[in-house]
Amino acid sequence: MADLSLKQVRKSFGNMTILQGIDLEIGSGEFIVFVGPSGCGKSTLLRLIAGLEEITEGTISIAGDVVNHVPPSKRGIAMVFQSYALYPHMTVYDNMAFGMKIARESKAEIDRRVRQAAEILQLEKYLDRLPKALSGGQRQRVAIGRAIVRNPQVFLFDEPLSNLDAALRVATRMEIAKLKDAMPDTTMIYVTHDQVEAMTLADRIVVLKDGRIEQVGTPMELYKKPCNLFVAQFIGSPAMNILPASIERAGAPTSVKLAGGMTAQLPLKTPETATGATVNLGVRPEDLRIAGNGEDVLLQGRLNYIEQLGEVQLAYLDIETDQPLIAKLPGGLEIQRGAELRLTANPEDVYLFDESGRSFAARESAASA
Amino acid sequence: MTKLSAIRPLRPASRMNVWAVISKTFLHAFLICLGIVVIYPLIWMALNGFKNNAQIFGNPFALPIGWSWANYVQAWNQGVRDYVSVSLLVTVASGLCTVLVSAWTAFGLTRTKMPAKPLVVGFVLGGLMLSPTVAVIPLVRMMQALGLYNTYWALIILYTAFRVPFSTFLIRAYMLDLSRDLDEAAVMDGASEGQIFWRITLPLCRPIVVSCVILHVLFAWNEYLFAMIFSSGVGAQTLPVGLTSIMATHGTNYAEVFAAMTISALPIVIVFFAAQRYFIRGLSDGIGK
Ligand SMILES: Nc1ncnc2c1ncn2[C@@H]1O[C@H](COP(=O)(O)OP(=O)(O)OP(=O)(O)O)[C@@H](O)[C@H]1O
Ligand SMILES: [Mg+2]
Repeated sequence: MADLSLKQVRKSFGNMTILQGIDLEIGSGEFIVFVGPSGCGKSTLLRLIAGLEEITEGTISIAGDVVNHVPPSKRGIAMVFQSYALYPHMTVYDNMAFGMKIARESKAEIDRRVRQAAEILQLEKYLDRLPKALSGGQRQRVAIGRAIVRNPQVFLFDEPLSNLDAALRVATRMEIAKLKDAMPDTTMIYVTHDQVEAMTLADRIVVLKDGRIEQVGTPMELYKKPCNLFVAQFIGSPAMNILPASIERAGAPTSVKLAGGMTAQLPLKTPETATGATVNLGVRPEDLRIAGNGEDVLLQGRLNYIEQLGEVQLAYLDIETDQPLIAKLPGGLEIQRGAELRLTANPEDVYLFDESGRSFAARESAASA
Repeated sequence: MTKLSAIRPLRPASRMNVWAVISKTFLHAFLICLGIVVIYPLIWMALNGFKNNAQIFGNPFALPIGWSWANYVQAWNQGVRDYVSVSLLVTVASGLCTVLVSAWTAFGLTRTKMPAKPLVVGFVLGGLMLSPTVAVIPLVRMMQALGLYNTYWALIILYTAFRVPFSTFLIRAYMLDLSRDLDEAAVMDGASEGQIFWRITLPLCRPIVVSCVILHVLFAWNEYLFAMIFSSGVGAQTLPVGLTSIMATHGTNYAEVFAAMTISALPIVIVFFAAQRYFIRGLSDGIGK
């Protein structure tokens, strides 16, 4: 059992603070994914958990024990590096056996565990090869194998798939998902840039920005209930459309007036004091559709550009804002560039963010909690 | 018109071919000449070991008349054997020490956090600037005080000390390029610093270590200044010093001197041919990084 708990973890390099006060509880057997823009501190956080970097302040505990000063190898943690970090002068077998040899395990035990891991990862044929004689995907599997044989309580992955090509990435992603099922008690923490990896693998996603946690939640929670503008735009592809608006009448429902002059009734509760406030209205491209006859029109604009992807097409509309509005429409729909499109969305699929970027829904639930 | 355009692309190509062949021929001829210039004296020296004085002076460039090993045997028995064993001992021992000390130093300089690291690097590499000639007198006093004067220990220590900066410089450059991820992976695997050094870093540094060993062998085998000053006593003389003393004592028997010189050159020539690949890489690595 390895639940992991981070309390007010801070990390600075010199006088540059990289992580500021991370609080995170990770349950035993959970698959956690860290996402965030480049340089936000994902790798640093992972390395703190691994023990490769000293934390500046705060505590990290694994299974209830504070491990701030426990050396990496004693934390029951295995890490898969982005570069794989296979020992180039050792065979696949020796790469996987190295840690156990250092720990002076018996030969028979080493052999048993290495062969077991090799079987899980289909590496039996390559045990005598040097890493340089393996393909990228095979190297990746060796790196995972080296982690498995140590029988860790916590598995750390730092962008393990980023060096693979697209097809192999999908295949390896599925392998990792299988691995997770095969090791239900092992906690896994996974860093990635790739939204698809995050959405498909994670039990919970941690969104980081500038060394802070923006939101923690299941993939669907982040998608459905982003707590602020950053998360809303970060999760989902293409990103959520954000439109400047002002609140015409606060309360429940809320009436919002868009910059273009359109008004919309949203089934959202906003505090009375918010009347007249400038806000941002968010709507996902996939929630937009062509307004039928008699339906309320939410948005209207000229079609500037179409990206036809077959199954769907991305329509870029000029609605007199800085950014074009993107709508994901069915691929079969006949639309012409230059046409005037009238779009609508279900009111419950429209998000509202206050001036500081916080979502009104999150504010409400925080207030009622 | 059609004919012309059909021919045209051919001409520059064939001209290019001619030039390529000519330049290649010249290059080869040049390299062969260079090779002869370098190798001929060695062969001449070896051949003269089979002659006697009369033949050497009467007909220096002729092939020897008989192929008798007598001069070689005599040279070997009259001291060359001892010189070779001292040289071997000094070269191997100082080579090992140099490489190990340098590799450990380079490991420390590239893999640990220490205050004022650039200063330490500068200090170690500053050793490159120290001229042996300048240091001779203090070193003699030191070795006398330590009771090591006139022993091969003096040479082992001095060769190590004077070669460590350069070897450290080469190995450090190489280690800087080794991925730090490997060290971290080994740390995760539970390896200590020492285990990382012996089992990961040092094996990965093999190419540069081999280069360092070869450069060191070349240096230590041929070194004369320190060898003459610190090992003039019987039983501690290395080959370069021994050869001069053979010349002094058997100066009239040139054939024997040639034989002795041939024996002393042989190991180094063999080492060089066996490892020239590493030798060249050692030089270019040192320059390139
Ligand atoms: N050893 C270090 N010394 C100084 N600054 C560092 C060090 N390691 C990381 N940083 C800084 O910390 C910040 C976060 O780095 P980190 O590698 O954690 O980002 P990341 O989220 O993993 O980014 P990416 O997605 O590009 O991998 C960066 O601004 C980086 O420059
Ligand atoms: Mg990173």
